[in-house]
Amino acid sequence: MTLRHMLTGAAALALLAPAAHAERGSDGQVNVLYWQAVSIMTPYLSSGTKDLEAASLVLEPLARFGPDGQLVPYLAEDIPTLENGGISEDLTTITWKLKEGILWSDGTPVTADDAVFTWQYCTDPDGGCAQLPNFGDVASVEAVDPQTIKVTFSVPKPYPYGPLVGAQSPLIQKAQFANCLGVAAPTCTEANTKPIGTGPFVVDDFKANDVVVLSANPNFRDPEKPAFANMVLKGGGDAASAARSVLETGEFDYAWNAQVEPEILTAMEAAGKGKVVSAFGTLVERIQVNQTDPDPALGEERSTVKHPHPILTDENVVKALSLAIDRAILIETGYGAAGQMTCNLVPAPEYNASTNNDWCKTRDVDQANKLLDEAGWMMGSDGVREKDGKRLSLLFQSSTNSVRQAAQALIKQDWAQIGVETELRNIDGGVFFGGDPGSPDTFQKFFADVEMYANNFDGTDPEKYLGDWVCSQAPSIENQWQGNNTSRMCNPDYDALHAELGKTAGQDARAKIAIELNDMIVNSPSFIPLVHRGRVSTKSNALGGVIMNPWDSELWNAADWYREKS
Amino acid sequence: MFAYALRRLLFAIPTLLVISFIIFALLDLSPGDPTANLPLTIPAEVREQIRISLGLGEPFHIRYVKWLEQFFVNEPLHLIEQATGWSFGEGQRMRVISWQTRSPVTDLILERLPQTLWVVGLSYLVGILIAIPIGVISAYRQYSWFDQFGTLFSMIGFSAPTFFTGLLFIVIFSVWLGWLPSIYDTNLRVTNAQTLWLQIRQMIMPVMVLALFNAAQLSRFMRASMLDNLGQEYVRTARAKGLRERAVILIHVLRNSLIPVVTVIALGIPTIFGGAIITEQIFRVNGIGQLLITGIQGADIPLVQTLTFMFAVLIVLFNLVADLLYGMLDPRIRYE
Amino acid sequence: MSDAATPLPRAAEPLLRVEGLKMHFPIYKGVLRRRAGAVKAVDDITFSVAEGETLGLVGESGCGKSTAGRAILRLYEPTAGAIVLEGRDIAHLEGDALRTLRPKMQMIFQDPQASLNPRMTVGSIIAEPLDEHTRQSRAARRARVTELMDAVGLNRTFVNRYPHEFSGGQRQRIGIARALALNPKFIVCDEPIAALDVSIQAQVVNLLEDLQQQLGLTYLFISHDLSMVRHLATRVAVMYLGKLVEIAARETLYDRPAHPYTQALISAVPSPNPEIEAKRRRIVLKGDVPSPSNPPPGCAFSTRCPRVFDRCRIETPPLYDLGGGHRAACFLAEPAARAA
Ligand SMILES: Nc1ncnc2c1ncn2[C@@H]1O[C@H](COP(=O)(O)OP(=O)(O)OP(=O)(O)O)[C@@H](O)[C@H]1O
Ligand code: SF4
Ligand SMILES: [Mg+2]
Repeated sequence: MTLRHMLTGAAALALLAPAAHAERGSDGQVNVLYWQAVSIMTPYLSSGTKDLEAASLVLEPLARFGPDGQLVPYLAEDIPTLENGGISEDLTTITWKLKEGILWSDGTPVTADDAVFTWQYCTDPDGGCAQLPNFGDVASVEAVDPQTIKVTFSVPKPYPYGPLVGAQSPLIQKAQFANCLGVAAPTCTEANTKPIGTGPFVVDDFKANDVVVLSANPNFRDPEKPAFANMVLKGGGDAASAARSVLETGEFDYAWNAQVEPEILTAMEAAGKGKVVSAFGTLVERIQVNQTDPDPALGEERSTVKHPHPILTDENVVKALSLAIDRAILIETGYGAAGQMTCNLVPAPEYNASTNNDWCKTRDVDQANKLLDEAGWMMGSDGVREKDGKRLSLLFQSSTNSVRQAAQALIKQDWAQIGVETELRNIDGGVFFGGDPGSPDTFQKFFADVEMYANNFDGTDPEKYLGDWVCSQAPSIENQWQGNNTSRMCNPDYDALHAELGKTAGQDARAKIAIELNDMIVNSPSFIPLVHRGRVSTKSNALGGVIMNPWDSELWNAADWYREKS
Repeated sequence: MFAYALRRLLFAIPTLLVISFIIFALLDLSPGDPTANLPLTIPAEVREQIRISLGLGEPFHIRYVKWLEQFFVNEPLHLIEQATGWSFGEGQRMRVISWQTRSPVTDLILERLPQTLWVVGLSYLVGILIAIPIGVISAYRQYSWFDQFGTLFSMIGFSAPTFFTGLLFIVIFSVWLGWLPSIYDTNLRVTNAQTLWLQIRQMIMPVMVLALFNAAQLSRFMRASMLDNLGQEYVRTARAKGLRERAVILIHVLRNSLIPVVTVIALGIPTIFGGAIITEQIFRVNGIGQLLITGIQGADIPLVQTLTFMFAVLIVLFNLVADLLYGMLDPRIRYE
Repeated sequence: MSDAATPLPRAAEPLLRVEGLKMHFPIYKGVLRRRAGAVKAVDDITFSVAEGETLGLVGESGCGKSTAGRAILRLYEPTAGAIVLEGRDIAHLEGDALRTLRPKMQMIFQDPQASLNPRMTVGSIIAEPLDEHTRQSRAARRARVTELMDAVGLNRTFVNRYPHEFSGGQRQRIGIARALALNPKFIVCDEPIAALDVSIQAQVVNLLEDLQQQLGLTYLFISHDLSMVRHLATRVAVMYLGKLVEIAARETLYDRPAHPYTQALISAVPSPNPEIEAKRRRIVLKGDVPSPSNPPPGCAFSTRCPRVFDRCRIETPPLYDLGGGHRAACFLAEPAARAA
């Protein structure tokens, strides 16, 4: 991490500090609504977003991601990097130093042993830990001294900020969970619902799938925070009424995840009691373009790399398809505040996002027509282009979902304008994403020409995500159709560059390669970006200090929240 | 009657066992997967480990027998231990544990019972109190404006779904008028007049939404039963005796008309415990109905299995209660 | 018309006088339930009943006998006409005025099963009118109930049983006991034996006769069984399609019926008079009874009358007085016609 990034991180933190701050607990109660109710307070036994975020009020990792995607030290003194020696030259170890004097909410000190225990807890083979991927390739976690934690990887890790970082792998207290390893994990109801943590709040009362009552942690490291003495985290109901309770009735201060039709949300916001806040992570709604031939006549070998797609391997054709799409309308009708324009596969964080492909942001039907003419696809008498007696006709599939079907219809119209005929199809989400190798309708089998869905990655580092596009990830009979390279793109240069990313450390260097990889995908005929989707929540005008964060828990800075003086 | 009740209860045992097996088998066959809700980013191996940690690695019959033991032996023993402070045997007895929340299912149910009984139970009661007079007057003044209005009321009440009336109430009373809270506070403890008032305020809308729905149905039933009896000869006899009209209606017609209505009411009581999924969701009452629906959504099989089975028990029980009530109310029916 | 304020001398006034009584039930049709005509169940009947006598009321099923009986007892609100009971017109009384009158007049119903509240014990069924209209002590009431049960021949230990635990005959006895509870003067017996077995019919009829003698009761005895009516009644009235077609003393009616309808009815009944029985020829009526909501013009019987002629289809025959209290509504009975 460079000095520049350290500074932006610090600037972000400085931003959070409210102007005039009173003492801890002086602002009374804050009411937060999660319409998907909280089930459990340990992220290790559930990976539901709602549970992770609720737990983030109590349990903290060594470092969190800030709103700009930069790491912010929480329990750690600072972020280990190659430059400051926290990461070993061979990229196999990372050494964290705990801040001095941090206490658990029961008053006992946090030590490196707790971190070691957390690793043991999650990696116990009988425990069914949901956050196991965060500890991938970890050979050991050791307590060098009570303040120093050393994580050793079995392979070089150019991006070692997985274990004990972010909302998904916070530290748990060894003393509390000592008897909850392995098969005993689910029986520790008390620990699982009222974990002892270091965060700004402690759980007073927990009603599963209903309500969590929290109060300010008396041992929180910042003596002035949190400003609120209590937090009520209510659950249940649906997204629309949750938004209503903040924007219209004003009963709640904050409501998570306002997945509501854009017009409705705008109408609610007009009541003037609160605001819609959004944050954009890495979720991109896209069209995957099949590079292999889905013709049923091919039988077993349908949609496999043996048979390249007869139309869609031409990058000019796909570019024309992309240029013809009116993305602004898609966003306006389907996403509102939860959507923004992107021309990338990796749209964020900013330092990872390419700016080289912005041509897709403006619709250009003439250019699209020109590209198709040049590619030899001539307009037929019925308004559908033809080449060598073949019509430019595509089968377009997606999962069943009203927003997706509306988008499909709009895109069909857009494409009709450039002489492309589209047949639409939608498949139940459970089947489409179900991954059943026996079903012909999964998004991996891709028995269609183009398909639309959204995907993203955890955290800020795109290495694994970009790894989905290497040749070997193409779904095939051999891998039971489980690969993630649904377009079946295969570019040896891409694979080589991705391998290099796996050896490169340092945020800037990695960002440079990631952008290059992203551009290779976006400019290949296998991918059409549509919408950069974000999280939308609602907050009352009476609540201050909220900073939406797509990279960590939305409640990541609840310690800084305060009551707005009216 | 006592012998009859006892015999019916004995017969209920095998019935319930079969029901429990069917529920278990159906849930097992249903496509739900407890890891299906996890984000796409969680790899398949981790999912498999989670499944195994939930006991899904075992074959069907073992899981069923385990559930039987947990539900019929361990849970009652736990209850007795809790109540008396005794302890039977030692070691950890496995209770029925919910997959989603990792806490014992019966504790979850007990936690939710108060709000469900308060809101759904009260709405049932209020519904009855609304329905009976409406039904009686509608029938007595058949085709009068009151009756026409009652018909309209019940048609609307019955066909307007609770998610619609609930929303309407919220928009009117919470958004426009700002009189009532739209979100139910399950943590509210009634300790004094002020908290009682808060409790009443937060119950008004969910109770009324459900009560109107219940009343719509029941008032039709009451009306039909009243009409049935009003046309009976014995009513003429009562009039011929020179009874006051009130006495004719209340003592003769109403009492006879109530017999079938009372059984319908008794048969409906299990639905109180089942909560009211939609209304509970709208007002975030988070009672048993919401527990069930989140359990279904999360494929939390132990929770769903236990809840559905308990509904089955209640249904069987209240069927018996309804039969016994009928026998008590109608002298023409005798159980041997 | 007389009313309670100006009672006529007792001797001149019969116990009950019915004048121009009409009972029309409105018919509603369509979604808006507009009134679309009426069922003229009872259409303008006039007769009287003297104290202590039994007037038989006969006619086919559906001709309006029960409706007439109920209207007279004010179980309906009559459409028109006067009902003068003991010199007082009760046709339009309401509320308490009517209620306090109820003890005087009672009804024994057609269906003993349906007319008893299934959820009340025999004791409370019989006692209920006592509670309502008298201020007796409980003991006195109980004594009265057992007395009544004895009077109708019911075992007094059955007092706490429910109606369904009795036989049909016993149930009708309960109905009679109930009707008698308040010492009525006038009782409408609406086919009290129609629902009973033949063997039991005689018992009940005997009971009714005994009670009439002991208590000096006046009966309006509705039946379609002409032999039973001949046995019981002092005078007989015949109804057809809501109208009174003939009324006469028993002997006159059975021996010299004037109306073709009565003739047809009587022709089906074996006569105890051997002379008449020898000459008896059964007259079989053809066709169905017209609907009371849409009666034929002219004489109501004209659609089925074996002796119908043109005038009958245009004019409605009035009730001609044939002397000696014999009256009949047929042009053939018109004094002038008979003379011709
Ligand atoms: N409440 C009512 N509303 C409408 N029509 C009625 C009503 N009561 C009786 N009627 C009609 O009036 C006519 C006479 O009925 P009623 O019961 O008086 O006949 P009835 O002579 O007693 O016949 P039965 O010998 O079968 O008892 C019938 O056509 C019947 O359908
Ligand atoms: S008036 Fe005419 S139709 Fe009527 S009964 Fe006499 S003869 Fe028959
Ligand atoms: Mg009758």
